[in-house]
Amino acid sequence: MNNINDLLSGCRGPIVLGVIIGFLAAIVQGLTISAGGPEAYGFCALCHTRDLVNGILNIALGTSYGLAPVSKAAILPVLTMIGVLIGGVIAAKMSSEFRIKHAQIKDVLIYFIGGVLLMQFGLLFGACPYRAALRLGYGEVVALFGIIGIVFGVWLALALITRSFKGGN
Amino acid sequence: MAAGWISKELAVILVPLITLVSGCIIGYLAQKTGFCAIGGFRDYIMFRHTRLLHGFIAMIVTAIVAFFFFHMITPMAFENFPWLVTKGVLSSVPGAPADLSQMAYIILAVIGGIGMGAIGVYVGGCPLRQFVMTAEGSMKSLWFVVGMAVGSVIFYLVTAGFVVGLMKSMGL
Repeated sequence: MNNINDLLSGCRGPIVLGVIIGFLAAIVQGLTISAGGPEAYGFCALCHTRDLVNGILNIALGTSYGLAPVSKAAILPVLTMIGVLIGGVIAAKMSSEFRIKHAQIKDVLIYFIGGVLLMQFGLLFGACPYRAALRLGYGEVVALFGIIGIVFGVWLALALITRSFKGGN
Repeated sequence: MAAGWISKELAVILVPLITLVSGCIIGYLAQKTGFCAIGGFRDYIMFRHTRLLHGFIAMIVTAIVAFFFFHMITPMAFENFPWLVTKGVLSSVPGAPADLSQMAYIILAVIGGIGMGAIGVYVGGCPLRQFVMTAEGSMKSLWFVVGMAVGSVIFYLVTAGFVVGLMKSMGL
């Protein structure tokens, strides 16, 4: 068990998880595609959150907010992100890294607005970075434009932050 | 329509369970590894650190291999693989708002990517990382996740219609 933990927290850890997400996503597609698709939809931190929220609201309130066909057809929408929270809590508890870190009002506002905005941009693209990777792996060239956009956005934000530091802020 | 490994009747019941299990595995390992796509680009651009970036690249490479492998065994579940050959080089996998031209989807992919990348840097991580930090007890990230949830509804009430209208009015 220690060896596995060392591997995961070491420099090759992300590669292990990258390989696992790639395979899991393909397996999830194989298992769920007959419920409706779309393709290359085995894992997406954005779209699966959207499906979960809108799907539950549609069931509870009778609304018809947009969601992927697979989540519309299934008895419940995709629960991937609930799973991520459960898995994350188990891992954090096991390694005693679970600690409530309170936020100040300013942070609450910034992060809340950040979440709303990131969702708008992400859903326009129809993917988070992970589904972009899956779509690229599925042979879609447009996803590559999206990934290039992400890299440019990261570079742009870093350039702005660095400049504001140099400006004395 | 595509036929997967299990029948449609079974799939509509098992979708929540299958995705819950795969989510648990990914969430557990993401906490152990600190996996983050946007963090990978950030670390590389700032410090030339490649640890997280290698994870993202490994995911793309594995996706190609896994889709190719499963497509060989069960072509019906992966019927449009490889997309650029079956559907055309510039066509998009469904996911973004419907009924737009190829050019519009490319523009949305670039704009959406830039927005995600920039916001991700300011809040210190991509959406998956925010979920994992929430699981570690970060209240900031919890509010980010709440923002994402509210944002999913706002997108369908406001943004999607606005952007589709804007794209169409520009002749895209």
